[in-house]
This record gives sequence, C-alpha cells and structure tokens, in this order.
Amino acid sequence: MVNRADAIVVGAGVVGAAVAAALSAAGRRVTVLEQGVPGGAVSGASLACIGTHMMDEEELPLLAWCCDAWAALDAQAPRFEYSRCGQLRFLKHDGERRSAETWIGIERAAGLAPELLEPDAVRRIEPELTGPIVAATWSPNSAVVNPFLAVRTLLDAARSGGAGIVAGAAATRILTAGGRVAGVETAVGRFEAPLVVIAGGPWTQDLAATAGVDLPIVPRKAQCLATVATRPVIRTVVGACKAEGGVDAGYTQIQQAASGQVLFNTVLEGGVTAAGGRDSVPEVDRAFVHDSVDTLLFLFPRLAALDLLRSWVRYEAVTPDDRFLTGPAGPDGLFVAAGDGGTGFVRSLGMARIVADRIAGKESPFRDDIYRPDRFVERAAA
Amino acid sequence: MRRVETDILVVGGGPAGLSAAIAAAGAGARVDLVDAGAAPGGQYWMQDPVAGATSQQAAEGSTAIASARAAGVAIHSGAEVWAAFPGGEIMANDAEGPITFQARSIVVASGAQDRVYPFPGWTLPGVMTPGAGQRLAKLGKTAPGRRIALAGNGPFLYAVAATLASIDATPALLVESGRARAAMLGLLARHPARIAEAVSLIAAARAVPDWRRGHVVTEALGEERVEAVRIAPIDERGTVDTARSERIDGIDALLVGWGFRPMIELTALLRCRHAYDRALGGWYCVASPSTGLTSVEGVYAAGEVTGIAGSRPARLSGTLAGLSAAAALGFESAGMEERRKGLVRALASARAFGHALGRLAPPPDGIADLARDDTIVCRCEEVTRGEIVAALAEGTRAVAGAKMWTRAGMGRCQGRICGSAVAEIAAAETGTSPAAAGFNPPRIPLRPVPLDVILEATRGSAP
Repeated sequence: MVNRADAIVVGAGVVGAAVAAALSAAGRRVTVLEQGVPGGAVSGASLACIGTHMMDEEELPLLAWCCDAWAALDAQAPRFEYSRCGQLRFLKHDGERRSAETWIGIERAAGLAPELLEPDAVRRIEPELTGPIVAATWSPNSAVVNPFLAVRTLLDAARSGGAGIVAGAAATRILTAGGRVAGVETAVGRFEAPLVVIAGGPWTQDLAATAGVDLPIVPRKAQCLATVATRPVIRTVVGACKAEGGVDAGYTQIQQAASGQVLFNTVLEGGVTAAGGRDSVPEVDRAFVHDSVDTLLFLFPRLAALDLLRSWVRYEAVTPDDRFLTGPAGPDGLFVAAGDGGTGFVRSLGMARIVADRIAGKESPFRDDIYRPDRFVERAAA
Repeated sequence: MRRVETDILVVGGGPAGLSAAIAAAGAGARVDLVDAGAAPGGQYWMQDPVAGATSQQAAEGSTAIASARAAGVAIHSGAEVWAAFPGGEIMANDAEGPITFQARSIVVASGAQDRVYPFPGWTLPGVMTPGAGQRLAKLGKTAPGRRIALAGNGPFLYAVAATLASIDATPALLVESGRARAAMLGLLARHPARIAEAVSLIAAARAVPDWRRGHVVTEALGEERVEAVRIAPIDERGTVDTARSERIDGIDALLVGWGFRPMIELTALLRCRHAYDRALGGWYCVASPSTGLTSVEGVYAAGEVTGIAGSRPARLSGTLAGLSAAAALGFESAGMEERRKGLVRALASARAFGHALGRLAPPPDGIADLARDDTIVCRCEEVTRGEIVAALAEGTRAVAGAKMWTRAGMGRCQGRICGSAVAEIAAAETGTSPAAAGFNPPRIPLRPVPLDVILEATRGSAP
C-alpha cells in the first residue's frame, strides 16, 4: 500500500497534532503517523500547564503568544477542559525571595503581570493552602488543559482539514531521493510526501539519524501521581519557586483536574536521563513518591486522608539548552519539532507556527533562530 | 513502621495461596501470607466469622488455615498489597497502617474476580454479579432478592444456585448461554472423578423452576431497581438474536456474570509475562507448568491468576509453587522431587478439565455489543459505549487509547470492571483482536491508599 500526501507528520503527541492542524489549516493534505496511541506517550502523561512563569527569558514572547493561542483554541473548540486558573510558586524559605523577585522582574519587563504575595494574599487565592510557606509568586495568566482532550482537539482540527491519522504506524526510516525527502517507511507500509515533520519527542533522534541528521535529544524520566477524585480543593497550579540551578534543580507541580483528581509531583534532584527507559517505562521511584506526597501534605495538610489512585512515568525529550529543536534539518523537505524539556504543551502551538511559516515561506512573528536544530553543531565547530 | 523480612511472601489466602504457604513452610522456609480478607480462605474457602464452617467447602478451608498456622505461616489478614518497588520491597497496608515485606521469593495467588460485560440496565440497584450474590448468601445468609434471576455462563452459576438453595433462596430463573450438553458429557467421560460433583451441581440447576439454555439477558428493566429482565436466544452462528427477545417480569435481583477474570494486577506490576485467552478469563499470568515460576526470577504464580481453571488446579498449583519456591531457596526435603512430579501430572489433568470447561461456554461473541450508545461501560467515570466508539472513530485505538480519550478505566477501580468490555469494543471498532487491544497496565498503588499511609511507608531510604 502506498499512501501519498502533501506532508507527513511523524508523531501524534501535542506537537505533532499541532503541526498537523497548522499544516491542514494552510491547505495541505497531511498524514499523521503514530507508533502507539495518539497522545499516549509523553503528552498524555503531562500535567499540561500553559503559562509563562519562571520559563526561559528568551522564549517569553513566544510563550505569551502560545498562551493566547491556547485561549483562542478553547474559544473555538471548548472541549479540552481549558481553565485559566493562574499559577502560584511557593517559597519555603526567605532566601528564595531574591530568586522570585528576579523572575518577576524579567517577566514584568516582557509585559507580563506576575507578583509576589504574602501568605494571607496567597490564601485568598488558594484557601486550602494552609502549609507554612513564607510567600508565593502569582502568575495570573497560567492555564491548564486536559492533555488527552487537547491532543484530540488538535487532531480533530487536522482531520476536519482533510488530514488522515494512522495509529499503530511506527516510523522506521526517512526515505530520500535525489537529496530530497520522499516519505517515511513504517511498520505498516510506505508513506510518500515531499515534506516530513518529525515530532516524535524522545524518539525523534533515532528517526532523524536514518536521514543522516544528528540531534542531541536525550530521554529524561518524569514521574507523576494522581489521587482519587475529590471535592474542589485546589484552584490553581501550585509549584515550587524555581531555584538556582535551572532545570536540574528539581520542581514541584500540583493541580486538580476537572475530574476532581489531584495531580502532583515533586522531584528534588532533577530527572534522570536513560536512553532505554522510554521504551520500557518503569515504575515510579520510592523516594519520588515520598517527596511528592510530603510536599503535597506540607502545602495542603487537610488532604492527608485522601487516597492515592495512580502513578505514572514518562520520558520527555531533553536538549542541551532545554529548548526545542524546531525547523529544517538535513535533506530538503525534512523538518523536526522536538525537545519539549517537560514543558512541551505550552510551546507546541508556537513550534507548529514556526514549522508552518517556514514551510509556507513566511516570516515568523517571533525569533526562530534559538530553536534551529543545527545550533549545537555550529557551536561544536566554533 | 512494621517491616517483615521473610523467605517467601505469599499474596492471597485462597486455596492456591494457602496451599503454597503450607507447602513452603512444610519444607522449612519462613513464610508470610498477606490476604485482603478479614479471614483467609478467599472466595472459595470463604470463612464466616459468625456462623463458622457450615459447608464442606468452608470446613476444607478452615482445615487448610489450621494447617498453615501449624506449619508456622505468619498470616496477615485484612492487608492489601499496594506496591512493589524495585529492590524487592512489597508494601501492604492494614487497619494499623503500612507493612513492608522484604522477601527472597514471592508467590502470587491473587485469584480472580467476576467478569462482567455492560448491558442496558446493568447499573440498576438489584443487579449484581453471581460472586457478590454468593458472598451475601455465604457470609450473611442473606438472599439477594425474593425472585432471583441468575445469568451468564459456566458451572459457577450452578454453584451459586446451590448456595442460594442452601439458604432457601432458590433462583426463579436461570439463563445460561451455553447449550453444549453432549460436549459436557464427553468431557465428564474423560474425567470420571468429576462426575459426582457435576451431578450435584446439575441438580442445583434443575431445582430452578425456569432454566433457559442458549439464552442471555439482554436488558435489566425497572424504575428504582430491577423489576424485569429481557432475554434473547443465541442463534446458530453464536450471536445474540435480539429480534426474538422475551420479557420476564417479577424479578427483584439479577446476578449476572461471565465466569471470572484473573486478577493480574500484582503480576503485571512485577512485569511478569502475560497471555490472553478469552476462555481462560482473558489476560492471565504465564507460569511454568512444572514449577509455577513466572518469567521473572523469584516470582511464582498459582491458582486463578494463571488462567481460570477452578479450585482443584488452584490447590495443586499452589502446592507446586510453594515447594518449588522453597526448593529454589535451598529448602529441600526427602522425597520432594517425587512429590513434585506427582503434582505436575495431577495439575496437568486438573487444568485440562478446568480449561475444557471454560472452552465449552465462553461469553458469546459480541457480548459487549449488548450495551447501547447510552449504556454506561465505565461505571467509575460514567463513560458510555457511545463515547468510547466516538473516540475510536476519531483516531484513537486500543484500551489505552480509549482510556486516555474518554477516561474509561481511569477511575477508582482502574478498569478492573470495564476492562474486558472496553477491550472487546476497541477490538470490534478498529478491526483487531481483544488481545491486541491490550489492558490497562497496573501502576503503584494497586489499590487506592491514603496519602498519610504512603508517606509513612516510603519514609527513609530504600535498602
């Protein structure tokens, strides 16, 4: 069976779905290839926070655009539990104030409106956060979405533009002819198209390598816990103030889904990277379970008797500078959009925009040079 | 926090688990047994704490429990296993809080639960599983209703009819999908030792005034609770002929189930290999027929978790697994090898009978199609069949995909109840097999556990 399309998107996670929706909207006939279940790997396991708070300074204009784009998508197709609930980042020690103030300064300079709140003010926003915090930052523009339904909504948009979605089609090789991309070989047959976008998360580098493209993507273990559904307790996204040390210094994220389940995680020492882990997803670590429950109950002690229901592990795609690799790579017609660094949900619409603009020969509304897939090759050469 | 170091941890206190514990302790190993029930015995050897052993089955169970205690088995009742962390720590919790076991080997004898498929009206009060009805009758001597309909397939229905008869609650109606009388007689001819048992079970079925073979219940009807059932025959091609359905009024309890599904949550968490056979209850843990060893070193499985076959293979496979686990740790006694060889032969024969029985009356094809678009399939999250079908039509697939897009299987029971049906719906809608549709992989915790218990259980560093 030969399937022909204008463009193939490899990967039906949130990035691939967003790219497929953007290319479909531009009038291209798209085929989406997914090795497993659409949204079933990294995206589905995400806590899917849409926000600009304590993120990469250079990316702020894109992130702000993404926040608006998600709100616009919700206005158009309100079926993915989008909630602009705002985000709190708690401070456990006075020593963290300087870090918090630095972040607030950076974001205010970019036209955003975060602020530092004392405990009383925090409790007006999050009444059951009764733990002994010293303060918290507040970023009102943050939102959460249901990750599964968000991917489904984007794929639905792609399909209504004529896209076909093939689940269970593991891509094994990029096909080229005369120095140009010709299609993708998969476990279920050959798919042909003059444009291929690899949005395969932590599997991207393997497929890109078949076209001679070397991408510095490493899979990193990320873990999460969920309680049984309970009454509305947590209104916002609650996280820890980002400390010195960047992404490797650990993080906390706590929120309550529309289902009533409390979703939470605390990683104190940063995630562990492991090349093989992504294909044989292991259990959560004992210490991770302890630290996560400990932090949740430190902040929300009244939840002590609530039942834990489930845990899960995913492997997110990490790059050396924690930014996506997005843009053309290798042979003509080949693009990549991968390297979520654990915050791919918010950035997916922006990455899709960059890819769609580049394919259409349009100028991007924000700088795309910081995402160039070959940026590390150049640095190494220099 | 309580911490127990032991040679062999047996999970499950039914016939398989007790047999494993007795055998391993008899060989000289230190054995701990955890069981979720208030008293060991499981569903088959269920002990009534008030009335005591009032049946032959219960008496057998109480003998086994006494043997286990006499052999030195430490029995932890009311304790549910909820985690297995790398490094061999198994965590359970009971009324007093967490207990952590560090065992050299583990025998999983987690048993089975009723297998159910959704149909219109199945969420009405008064509709329950045959297993639940039997439990009511065995434990509280309580009849589930005054005019009881018993429905589904398999010899367990007859056993439930017998239990109900023993408390003067003989069902008014027995609706059985199977009609393979000749095949049943042929099977009994090959296993003459089982004839007496079969005769007594068939007598219990015969005592039911209205016995419909080759029929299924297609709908439970009623306003506040079940008041009537609709039944339909199965045609020559094995499919349910709803055009020839019939309404039977005056029913106030419907016990409906399709045999059992192995409870593979712990073996799956331990990453043992599993296989699928609809006639054996669906997914089961693969265990060596000569030792009970699973694909994971030091992990043995016995009884119904290795494929539905009944209590006799459960006892034999339990003894075999207990002996093998003990022997692998160096606890060998004289004559053990001969005993094991005998067990392997007896188990093969007993399993062959149990499996053949399962193959005589599998759930009819398309049983999951009894559910209409507006019928709830996932009860925890209230997901309808229509929502699952729509998600599959939009591009998701398999049990995992249906779960992510609709929440079917994401609630409190984690798909234990709806899993078989979701797999069959996914398979039918996407042109694949239920085996290819997979199952919801269990994760920590296996059962909901309070956060403060987890905090205490995971305190300190792992060994």
